[in-house]
Amino acid sequence: MAGMISVQNVSARRAPLALASVHLEWGPGIHSIVGRREDGGALLLALLAGVARPRAGHVRIFDRAPADVRREIAHIPLETSLPDALRVDELLRLACRLRSETPADSTGRLAVLGVEALAARAVRSLSRGEARAVSLVEGLTSTRVRVLLVEEPGTWMDPRAAGRLFQALHGKAQTGAAIVLSTASAREANELATDHVVMRRGAVVSGPASSDPRLSDLHRAYLVVVSRDEAGARLLAAGLARDSAVGGLEQAGAIVRVRGDDPIDVARATATAAVAAGAEIIELRWESCGAPFARAQTAGELAS
Amino acid sequence: MRIGVLALAALARLVRAPRTWLALAVWFPLALAIGLFARAQGMVHSADHVLVDVVGALILPLLVYLLVGAMLGAGSVAASVSPLVAFGARPSSVAVTLVGVGAVACCFCGAVLAATVALLAHGSGDPPRLRDAIASAYVGGLGAGSYACWFFFGAAFGRRGGGRPIALVLDWLLGTQDGCTALFTPRAHVRNLFGGSPPVDLPERASALALVGICAVCLIFTVYRVRARR
Repeated sequence: MAGMISVQNVSARRAPLALASVHLEWGPGIHSIVGRREDGGALLLALLAGVARPRAGHVRIFDRAPADVRREIAHIPLETSLPDALRVDELLRLACRLRSETPADSTGRLAVLGVEALAARAVRSLSRGEARAVSLVEGLTSTRVRVLLVEEPGTWMDPRAAGRLFQALHGKAQTGAAIVLSTASAREANELATDHVVMRRGAVVSGPASSDPRLSDLHRAYLVVVSRDEAGARLLAAGLARDSAVGGLEQAGAIVRVRGDDPIDVARATATAAVAAGAEIIELRWESCGAPFARAQTAGELAS
Repeated sequence: MRIGVLALAALARLVRAPRTWLALAVWFPLALAIGLFARAQGMVHSADHVLVDVVGALILPLLVYLLVGAMLGAGSVAASVSPLVAFGARPSSVAVTLVGVGAVACCFCGAVLAATVALLAHGSGDPPRLRDAIASAYVGGLGAGSYACWFFFGAAFGRRGGGRPIALVLDWLLGTQDGCTALFTPRAHVRNLFGGSPPVDLPERASALALVGICAVCLIFTVYRVRARR
């Protein structure tokens, strides 16, 4: 059922976030929007939830406006807001009534994310992570919710819930729901979602693609390695020249630029050559696109 | 059925907020103490004076201001509405229910406050005690309900409902006068109904209708503001 969620040439603004001409379609499954908050992922989720309105274009959920299918959408933003005068079990029962579904056992629902101990707690006494977990439980366990929108699922999440999140999201997706995650972590997107789009400054720069989001932007990029001194850079370049993963190499002073078909292999080759040469690296960066998550990956490779 | 669920959620906000009970615990005894003091002073129209100069001018608006603040969690109407909208409720339904429950609760509190003061502060020159208490309850209830809608409307402005204190100040600035600008505030009409000076020589019945009108207009525009912010 492709097209459960349809975003057609949408432009929107909600200071300081903005979107420009976004065109996307999603069906059942877990999808991710990779980018920082200011790149527009959070605003896109708000549009899908009907919390914000586009300035141009259309947002359709099940071929209708989000406001018309509000009961079937659950939106968990980074700053979760819950009715603070209620207890958690009362809140879940209230949500059931508002979504016109049969109330289920609150403790059983909370157990999906391992937070059943929160059932009798007052909502206003919950920590930020606990509130997010409760909000996520409501969306995951509701039989009416078929679209689940989660901003930064791994951030400010109760530790008990974080460990069960992957299983719970996949369980929900298997019921035919469409889950859209917005995250700045490419690793999180890769672990949780089956496909991704990358957003930068309010525009979609790549995707949807099912490959690792860290790779999709990097095939035209090169890795810039800044060594402590020119001697270290020459040794590093010499080591890289012998590696088959390196397609292009240039060294100027203490800076080495490395290019290859597979950015992950380039990063591994650089790490191996740096260790073998004993070169002291003071800076690593990708130039062209995809810098943030590539930097994390490269740093991880060097550390190991 | 869903309106009932929304009403219960709104009532829970009011009843379970510590600020609600704190406001009642402060202002009710204060009003009663002033009433008893006025009667002890031997004033002929002690109930009149206390109701016009203390209850209507000071305690009623401040009490309702605090009760509305307790319901909103000292935030905006939009922020109070959004948690329930996230579960699929319509924003207009939630807003109407919130303001409605708040206004009815404040009506009840205002009626009880005014009636009790009228009974306790009754002076020799005041109308018969029971009749005065019933009339005061009517005015106190109507005034409190109108003030509730007024403050909810104020709280529909500003990210954190910063329009609510502005509404309080505007009510005081414009309502203490007797000119045309006073017609748009609850203060002037409450004063008129309690027996004080009328705005623009308006009869009491017209002031009662004006308070109902303020309720309706504030409710409509509050719902409009909530829908416009989405």
